[in-house]
Amino acid sequence: MPDLLTFLTDLSWPVAICLAWLAGELGQRITGLPRISFYGIVGFILAASQVGVLPPSGPGPILLLADVAFGLILFELGYRINLRWLRNNPWFALASLTEALGTFIAIYFVAGLFGTSTMTALMLAALSMSTSPATVVRVINEMRSSGQVTERVLHLSALNCVMSVFAFNIIVGFWIFRSSADIGDATLNSLVAVLLSALLGAVFGVVVPGVLRHMGSLSKDATVGFALAIILLVSITYATQLSPVVAALTFGLTARHRRIAFSQAQRNFGALGEVLTVLLFVFAASTLDWRSVTDGVWLALTVFLVRLVTKTVGVTVFSELSGISWRKGALTGMALAPVSVFVILLLEHARLRGVNLGEELRAMAGVTLLLEVFGPILIQRALLLARETPES
Amino acid sequence: MPLEPFAASKALTFGVELELQLVSLSDLDLTAASPDLLHLLSRKPFPGNVTPEMTESMIEINSSVHSSYLPLLAELLDIRDILVAAGDQLNIGLSGGGTHPYQHWSEQKIFEKPRFRELSSLYGYLAKQFTVFGQHVHIGCTSGDDAMFLLHSLNRYIPHFIALSASSPFVQGHDSHFDSARLNSVFAFPMSGRAPFFLKWDDFANVYFAKMERTGIIKNMKDFYWDVRPKPEYGTIELRVCDTPLTVERAAALAGYLQALCRYLLERREEPPVEDDYLVYNFNRFQACRFGLDGAITHPKTYQTISLREDILSSLRMMEPHAEVLGSLGALRHLSAVAQDGGDATYLRNQYYQQGSAEGMVDAAIRRFRGQR
Repeated sequence: MPDLLTFLTDLSWPVAICLAWLAGELGQRITGLPRISFYGIVGFILAASQVGVLPPSGPGPILLLADVAFGLILFELGYRINLRWLRNNPWFALASLTEALGTFIAIYFVAGLFGTSTMTALMLAALSMSTSPATVVRVINEMRSSGQVTERVLHLSALNCVMSVFAFNIIVGFWIFRSSADIGDATLNSLVAVLLSALLGAVFGVVVPGVLRHMGSLSKDATVGFALAIILLVSITYATQLSPVVAALTFGLTARHRRIAFSQAQRNFGALGEVLTVLLFVFAASTLDWRSVTDGVWLALTVFLVRLVTKTVGVTVFSELSGISWRKGALTGMALAPVSVFVILLLEHARLRGVNLGEELRAMAGVTLLLEVFGPILIQRALLLARETPES
Repeated sequence: MPLEPFAASKALTFGVELELQLVSLSDLDLTAASPDLLHLLSRKPFPGNVTPEMTESMIEINSSVHSSYLPLLAELLDIRDILVAAGDQLNIGLSGGGTHPYQHWSEQKIFEKPRFRELSSLYGYLAKQFTVFGQHVHIGCTSGDDAMFLLHSLNRYIPHFIALSASSPFVQGHDSHFDSARLNSVFAFPMSGRAPFFLKWDDFANVYFAKMERTGIIKNMKDFYWDVRPKPEYGTIELRVCDTPLTVERAAALAGYLQALCRYLLERREEPPVEDDYLVYNFNRFQACRFGLDGAITHPKTYQTISLREDILSSLRMMEPHAEVLGSLGALRHLSAVAQDGGDATYLRNQYYQQGSAEGMVDAAIRRFRGQR
């Protein structure tokens, strides 16, 4: 009965998203843990390589939707970043560099100790620098937190994202050519791609608010206008092989300086954002394969722990100098743990470019699975311990 | 517990308290930053004093006690510079203004302190929608009787201070068409408004306060939210109707005007205050809140309708000899310019239209507080 099979396959995504949403609502009510942790668990269980409800991932509408969902989140993040802060508080900028570079170096050596190849170790190190903005923004909005830990995690997550994309692209470029003579070329290619993506985002950031302002009645229309612009932007990066991450982030950053009203009520892009977030987290977890997770389990656990330590130490040593208590510094570092969605989308895009890193980066699968579930919990606990959430 | 005796202080000494907005420089909304900011400020000596307020997105600063305008202004400028530098380090903007234009009261967090908790549970949402920002000016009085005399003599001048300081045109995302919408939040409290008419401290303390205390409604002077209230432990009266202006310069000028006015009133050349002065009081106060300097008030003695702007300008001229003695002519000049060119409410509305959004208006207010044009 091939027809019934097609019929069921067509239903698999909507059903998975509904199940994930139910699990998220019930799970949050019963355990008090963040909803997105449950989305991840459901996505992982239903994935092709586990229960097999969902079809194997690949290029197609679901990946595009996931990218749009991530684009919305990155735009929102960019919209909340104040780059001038880094100049006003150079110790904070230094903390960012220290935790990112410290993590890169530490993970590179740890991977070496486990006998991975130089190339794989470099890629692991580049991915480990990142902090997933999707998890960070989602949990912060869900908790409605505000304060220094919240602000710093948002800013560090955006910076980590850019540094990680940049390093990862250089290394992948290098990996494609596989010869040190081409490293200059790879760096250049990667740099040009990142710059072009940023330029595209900046153009959107100038044009879109201009158009919206011209149309008047800003407070009502800004959300829809921005959302549509992001869909367009992500599609353009698809067609041109640019980085949707960098483009969406720059779009938000540039738009921020045009000061178009974007009120609190529209956090997460309202209901549209909520729906796409469920899809994003289910999709991300569904790309993971249980076998690769168990294969690299010890390396994964070590990477997970070392990364937690380097990020926490890197931020904490500068906490007093940058104007917060040791305690809040350490909690900021701890809240930088999430990694999953960002890394998964980066790997999916590398795969689309013909770079299949699944085998090379087995350990990363384990790390992402761990953090898909525990990342949101870590940042949630950090915000609660920092007392930055409203009284219940 | 009976009301404590009125501690005499030196006549016409004064001090200023300002409630300030803590704004995230990321999204320009109010942010619960006072615990972090206070932590950072506690590391270095601070001129005057800084304390937490009811919700975590506000702080209160106060000056020391001064006897003239210029040292007060200098101290407020010092305080401002320290606050701005600390704010920069934490990505927090400091801003004046009586309201934040688009904050949501339900997003506010109550600062962790027993008194704030009690108030929050008594007043419910009133406590959170009380995230409004005012300037208080204390004037030292040599006796409780002088204090009560001044408190009631000022009734006719209350609209001046409302209109000159008005800086809260926007509430919850919309133009309220009031110049000072903040005072509407204050009036919601049951113990707000004018003080009862007693001219002798003994009558006020032993009759009125004693009775009120017996009712159990109030425990101390802090439970009254009057426009002007006596503060016996400091030996002062406290003017509470001003919105926090967008600049500390204006805050100092308002204090300078009040000081000169009190010096004039203490000469007792005006007709003494009577209960009937208050017949027009609420209406005049409304005119000042609603229309600011363009309001029209009714004189409590003659019942003439006069333009508030004209009344302010002529009163400022009348205070010049007093300001000369007190060294505060600069304050009067500053306020004449305000009365002629328009105040902070007008500035904010103009910014809203120029910048095209409420965020742009908040950004402009932050820059103005820093002393940038």
